[in-house]
Amino acid sequence: MKLFKKRSCCGADAESKKVDDYSMTIGFIGNPNCGKTTLFNAYTGANLKVANWPGVTVEKVEGAYKFQGEKIRLVDLPGTYSLTSYTMEETVSRNFILSDEVDVVINVVDASALERGLYLTLQLLELGKPVVVALNMMDIVLKRGMEIDLHRLPEMLGVPVIPVSARKRTGLDILIHAAVHHKDAKGPDKLIHEHKETSSHVHDHHSEFTMVYSDAIEDEIDVVENALRARYPDMRNMRWHAIKTLEGDREITEKYPLDIPEAGKNYESEIINEKYAFIGEVIDEVMVHKQRQDKLTDKLDAAFTHRIWGIPIFLGIMAVVFFLTFFVGDLIKSLLEMGIGALSDAIEGGLTSAGASEIVISLLNDGIISGVGTIITFLPNIFILFLALAFLEDSGYMARVAYVMEGVMSKIGLSGRAFIPMLLGFGCTVPAIMASRALENRRDRFKVMLVTPFMSCSARLTIYILFAEMFFAQYAFLAAFCMYVLGILVAIGVSAVLHLIDRKKTVNYLLIELPEYKMPDARTVGIYVWEKVKDYLVKAGTTIFIATLIIWALMYFGPTGFVGEGSDSSFAAYIGGPLSVVFAPIGLGFWQIVVALIAGISAKEVVVSSCAVLFGISNAGADTAGFAAALEAIGFGPLNAVCLMVFCLLYIPCVATLATIHKESKSWAWTGFTALFQLVVAYVITLIVYQIGALIV
Amino acid sequence: MYLSEARVGQNYTVKKIMLPFETQRRLEALGMTDRAPVTVLNRKGKGILIIKLRGTRFALGYNITKNIEVDADEAV
Repeated sequence: MKLFKKRSCCGADAESKKVDDYSMTIGFIGNPNCGKTTLFNAYTGANLKVANWPGVTVEKVEGAYKFQGEKIRLVDLPGTYSLTSYTMEETVSRNFILSDEVDVVINVVDASALERGLYLTLQLLELGKPVVVALNMMDIVLKRGMEIDLHRLPEMLGVPVIPVSARKRTGLDILIHAAVHHKDAKGPDKLIHEHKETSSHVHDHHSEFTMVYSDAIEDEIDVVENALRARYPDMRNMRWHAIKTLEGDREITEKYPLDIPEAGKNYESEIINEKYAFIGEVIDEVMVHKQRQDKLTDKLDAAFTHRIWGIPIFLGIMAVVFFLTFFVGDLIKSLLEMGIGALSDAIEGGLTSAGASEIVISLLNDGIISGVGTIITFLPNIFILFLALAFLEDSGYMARVAYVMEGVMSKIGLSGRAFIPMLLGFGCTVPAIMASRALENRRDRFKVMLVTPFMSCSARLTIYILFAEMFFAQYAFLAAFCMYVLGILVAIGVSAVLHLIDRKKTVNYLLIELPEYKMPDARTVGIYVWEKVKDYLVKAGTTIFIATLIIWALMYFGPTGFVGEGSDSSFAAYIGGPLSVVFAPIGLGFWQIVVALIAGISAKEVVVSSCAVLFGISNAGADTAGFAAALEAIGFGPLNAVCLMVFCLLYIPCVATLATIHKESKSWAWTGFTALFQLVVAYVITLIVYQIGALIV
Repeated sequence: MYLSEARVGQNYTVKKIMLPFETQRRLEALGMTDRAPVTVLNRKGKGILIIKLRGTRFALGYNITKNIEVDADEAV
């Protein structure tokens, strides 16, 4: 399986060689959240992220599928409601479909939202490319007691309609078969319409086009088409260009200007209304029991989007998520710790009796097992956190959060929608920042990019678990939960300040589709969680492993050679010592902590693994008593632990996050500013915490 | 009247949309055009709404709803 990502829409030259290997290219397009990516995953075996909120796919992704000995290139496009040229995704999707690269378009339509889906279908049909409709989520429709006339629908649309279930993987081969055979289709198949009004138009368009407008509009289309033909004789698909001209489409009218009075008029509303009117006709004929609406969604929404209880319920849900992450995660964690402890002892015993050198034993035990082993023990907590997030995302609740938070967010100049990336930041900041792409407003995106790193990600969770449990025993959960709340408050506070000083105040327009609730799909959740767990393990084996080795080397070696554990004559002490002066006012003036914090920029878990190595604890997770004793010996108490947690929550995000911010903002200056800004905020807030705390304690 | 003043459970017909070009176009693409039928499902605050438009639920902020003029449909 081949999977490569491409960011531009038409950079065909560099890719054309690759494209030649394929017999044809199929583009997947459909509304946001209609199941395109699930379908794409089913074909390609890829594990792209799927969830139940609009805007999950923000990039065009490609894959390959073998069908009857032919290699077919499949392209998954970001979801779109229409093919106008007003947003980046729509322009990308439209230009890609119009390009010669695409042979057939598979239009994925959510059968449970047929009305909305068909609007895009009608626009695609006007584009003139061969289209095959994949009717997804038929199971939901049937479950609700509705039926769709699969014989009548293709007659009315003039293209094949194939029922599929992306989740249950049915109808997949039939769909590709239809696409392959439809490749050379010119115009629609036989159309059978029974329109109520009789047309007196000169052309009998009803046998030619699926979407036929009222006579008044058709007359205008004729005028524009003639003008286009006269001025741009080589133009393909005059009708589409004529319709776009009448809609006042910016791209088309700029590219193909006309100086006839018709070109100046704007019929967009009429054209849209007539399309929906035709869709109404289609729905009336093909949908049986259409009145059977989804009662479940209405019932759940009555609670989840309640005007008063909405926010408390949201906070309650988040509290449950973190409770599970802490307590259930810890139960499993203790088992893992015992295993790793036993391994460490066995290695030490085995190597000592085998007569291995002191340095090798130290490297394995004090370096790799303390560092990486400690990180591995947090896997159960990470697993449960992502399981809970996957559940929230796939159930359909995520989009509701935008509505619930709109009131608060609009006060700080952001749209409720901006809260979705921030919420995703509890999992990992990298995808959260990428999700900010779904925000229409560029200034909003930059704001969200600046504050999302304050949302406490899963890597920082490891720091809280370790230090909170060490110093606050039964209040550990509370201490950690406070960190999450502090993160949210700082993010909101910073946004509020930005909103106050922002002279070019932008008005925000919350507009988001609320999908119907559904039971999260085991496979989707499974893929999601597995990808995260895999990422975590890979990170433990690469970034954290290397960082741990470097820390071990800096700690156990000094200018005089191998100096052994906890030595003040190690390289680490020489690096951290002078800097600890700067960190003293915020309660972190310990050279070991300073080194761990610097190392933590590579990945926040490294703060934990580095501490384990720096304090010579073989397994920091299991041996908390030994760790606490080592910390106390240098005068590191509960207040210092709080300061460490606060500082880790807020200071420079990890390298992966910085790289993502750079990729998304395309600006080193902004990336640098973000890093510096976080550092300053972290320093100031930790300073306040420590100075006030020192007065109380 | 404006959509921001709409009551839950009531059906409305859009009369006029007065929003910046891009937002208006985005709404139109979703079927929010003049004469489009809208049902209000839920509301909070000054006029943050959940509506049903052409078969789909949408959440709309106050900045949108206060700029959409509607007529209440006759009760059937």
